[in-house]
Amino acid sequence: MNYKLNKFSEKSFSYMFFSKLSKINLIIILSIILLGFVGVASLYSAAGGYWDPWAKNHLIRLIFGMCLMLILAFLPQDIFFKLSVFSFLIGILSLILVKFIGTGNVQRWITLGGINFQPSEAMKLALILILARYFDHISRIELDKLKTYILPIFLILLPGFLVISQPDLGTGLTIILLGLAILFFVGISMKFVILCFILLASSIPFIWNQLYDYQKDRILVFLNPEIDSLGSGYQIIQSKIAIGSGGLFGKGYLLGSQSRLNYLPEKHTDFIFTLISEELGFLGSISIILIFCILITSIMKISFRVKSLFSKIVTFGIGFLLFLYLTLNIGMVCGLLPVVGAPLPLISYGGTSLLTVLIGLGIVLSISINDKEVL
Amino acid sequence: MKNKNQKNLENTISKRFFLLSILKGSVVGAIGWRFFDLQMIENRKYEKLSDNNQFNFLMIAPERGRILDRKMRLLAGNMDGFSLVLKWNKNINVDEIIKKVLKIVNISQKSLNKFYEEIKSNKNEFAKEILITKNLSQKDVSKLAVRSIEFPEVTFLMTKKRFYPQGIIAGHITGYIGPYSKNDSEIKMKPNTSWLEVGKTGLEQFFDNELRGKFGRKRNEVTSKGHIIASQIYENTIPGKDIQTSLDMGLQAFAIERFERGNNTLIPIKNDNIKKQILKTKNIEYVNKDFLYKDKKNKIVNPQSGSLIVMDIENGEILCSVSSPGYDPNIFSEDLEINVWNDLKNNSRAPLLNRSMSGVYPPGSTIKMAVALAALENGIIDYNTKFYCNGMKELGSSTFHCWAKDGHGKLNLIEAIEQSCDVYFYELGLKVGIDKIALMMKKLGLGQYYDLEIKDRSKGVVPNIEWKLKRDGLQWSMGETLNASIGQGYLLTTPLQLTTMVSRIANGKFAITPTLMLGKSQNRFEPLNINYKHLDFIKKSMERVVKGINGTARNYQIGSKKIEMAGKTGTVQVVRISEAEREKGLIKNEDRPWKKRDHALFVGYAPVSKPKYAITVVVEHGGSGSSVAAPIARDIFKYIFKV
Repeated sequence: MNYKLNKFSEKSFSYMFFSKLSKINLIIILSIILLGFVGVASLYSAAGGYWDPWAKNHLIRLIFGMCLMLILAFLPQDIFFKLSVFSFLIGILSLILVKFIGTGNVQRWITLGGINFQPSEAMKLALILILARYFDHISRIELDKLKTYILPIFLILLPGFLVISQPDLGTGLTIILLGLAILFFVGISMKFVILCFILLASSIPFIWNQLYDYQKDRILVFLNPEIDSLGSGYQIIQSKIAIGSGGLFGKGYLLGSQSRLNYLPEKHTDFIFTLISEELGFLGSISIILIFCILITSIMKISFRVKSLFSKIVTFGIGFLLFLYLTLNIGMVCGLLPVVGAPLPLISYGGTSLLTVLIGLGIVLSISINDKEVL
Repeated sequence: MKNKNQKNLENTISKRFFLLSILKGSVVGAIGWRFFDLQMIENRKYEKLSDNNQFNFLMIAPERGRILDRKMRLLAGNMDGFSLVLKWNKNINVDEIIKKVLKIVNISQKSLNKFYEEIKSNKNEFAKEILITKNLSQKDVSKLAVRSIEFPEVTFLMTKKRFYPQGIIAGHITGYIGPYSKNDSEIKMKPNTSWLEVGKTGLEQFFDNELRGKFGRKRNEVTSKGHIIASQIYENTIPGKDIQTSLDMGLQAFAIERFERGNNTLIPIKNDNIKKQILKTKNIEYVNKDFLYKDKKNKIVNPQSGSLIVMDIENGEILCSVSSPGYDPNIFSEDLEINVWNDLKNNSRAPLLNRSMSGVYPPGSTIKMAVALAALENGIIDYNTKFYCNGMKELGSSTFHCWAKDGHGKLNLIEAIEQSCDVYFYELGLKVGIDKIALMMKKLGLGQYYDLEIKDRSKGVVPNIEWKLKRDGLQWSMGETLNASIGQGYLLTTPLQLTTMVSRIANGKFAITPTLMLGKSQNRFEPLNINYKHLDFIKKSMERVVKGINGTARNYQIGSKKIEMAGKTGTVQVVRISEAEREKGLIKNEDRPWKKRDHALFVGYAPVSKPKYAITVVVEHGGSGSSVAAPIARDIFKYIFKV
């Protein structure tokens, strides 16, 4: 009996595995592989044609992260539902913890067993999950009431301000924007949207005072880079020069003079897209933006298709998170947005953001595979 | 109820979903447009900025073209030298480095000034190489090399240095070069580099563009920190073109030595006795370091100063152009010390003046051929017209003397030229009139510039009635015609103009103009338009000057059957001789102070049978043309024709 059961379950497991595998979204997988490849290649170029110190690590992290993503993809989605509150609590706890035991010049990282970990990145996912769980239980009528939003706004602002005070304006604003987008998505009435705008606008002076000098500088310099062409404006000016000099076809892979001669700041992290634009030109940059768009659109399609509200919100949230990453980063390097630390997902060097994005994509894949079975 | 709510919610979410999609689409669109703008529309601008970041360019000096004589002997070339260069970047302390270097070697203040000027004008922050000095001796280099660790920013470069192997011999012709300065405003397309040297005078100046060549560029790739990581030739230098002149250095060297000697004797400076004697002697402004001259009375004298030109009468090529005293152009290739320069500039004998082309002298009797030609061409006299010379000509209240106190008696034109009778030409001048004489002088090449390869030259003066009216607002007087007729008064010519005049007479067909270039097209000459019979007659009388029994240069025949010279002597009075002095009897030339002695001139050509070369010898305050200038001309022709 046992044996038979085992045999049956084995059969059903392998059956389940393959049926799930067949449902996996190939476009998403392909986009991830492509972007990951671009990341490794760019980091190889950023190091001047060497695997060390970035490209090799990135590749290893990418492989590890993709394995993790695939494992998550095969997990039933209700696990995320159940874990949402727990993960949020862990996230908040680690954000508070980072204040005391954080490492780095600005306290952003927690060192766990030799691995530097940035809780603010993981917080984004946790926020999506907990908001999704919260709104999954709220009925339409309750959505019209103001009190319905007190808790979610608190859930958004708490990690948001914790991160901003680290200080990490970019990530903090990303968290707040992400939360607000989810609120908007689930149908917050326009009254509240306008109210939020007013609140946000009126809090700008308050936020401005809370900012550190270098953050203020960044914003001022963003508004007029020429005021400090060798100081804070240097990054934006050199980045624009690198992008602009790329032209249609670029200077050629490994041949970007701006990056090779160290005119580009942070060329392996936040400004990696500048390097790509310089070396691969307009065609290269637009292609990569296009791949991102395909990836985000595929996620949005899943969000549109799935039936459960939780899945809908989670998928939307992760898709929107990717969109935020992309626009903040690229908008920053081309001088449309101020220089706030925002990595380019899957391409920038940095373990936590890479893992966050891949875990998020794992959740999306899991939802896309399992959604119908649940309903 | 719940179902309805559910549906409502789904509707809202769908609406919101699309709203957000539009938002996202427009944001991505904006980013896409931004990249299009940066990379496609403004690409050029950013490419330039990127190149400015990536590269900085250094100029590489081309090798200056050589100046050669007609037999390809070197007049101006280049030799290896060492330059001291500072690898400048914004982080170094220039003053401290220079201080350290100055402790070890001497660098002239002029170079340092130039260097600091360059540093100050260096506006941008890119690293570049700045020249400190071009004149580093081998010894300096080794001294510096030993301690180069103390100033790693300073390096040596092998560079070329201008070199004039002929030294003083042709200094006036080659000219010299020097660093570009603001005075050289004529120079177009100035490359922005401290290496630029331009010709300042002579051929170096005239052919500066041809000789200079084109600067190359070295492209350095620089990191954001200013380190040079790669360097390559971006634009090749194009060396300057060689210039072949018509000069014959053998003749030039012989001529300068013969000219400076004059009628004196050459004595090498060997013992201290002579040196002491030099120190005691006054008014010796120009003493050569190796030898000196003594006159017949065994007194130390200066070398003769003046000019000597030999020109080919067929094509106008100048074979030899001596201007004495001269200067050695090599001193300008070194860091010229200010006192050396001042000595040159303030020397009373003006060694910097190129007397051949820009020195003006009254031509004296050498002008008489022109006056005679004016008379013949205008039909005023014929070959046999005679005048009586009793030693003077009275005009109004003034008396005009002939050089022969007792007069020449009755004589015709050919005899008048042979004996250089002044009274005969006073009569001619009165008959012809100054305007017609001036016209003939102009026809023979006086009073004008030529299309010559030397920029510094004088026009001279050929006076006429209009000229005087314009200059002084005064009427022309007959006495002035008399003066002009014997080459005194207002009339001024350069030795080159006199040579041209003789060339035209000897050539007979073309209005020869002088040139310093070899093989210049001969089509440039216009016809002379003077009756060749008249010219032949004039040439005959010039032959008589040398050959005739009474010829003023009869003592200085070449003495060869095949080759003989013809010419005309001239002795130019420098100071006016009053009647009272004349009564007392003239003081001998040698007894007068140097400045008051007569200029000695000789113009001529050879060989008589088939004229080939014209010569002019002007010896400043040399005495009489027949005793000082004519023998020099004779010896030059002897050298040329190897007699």
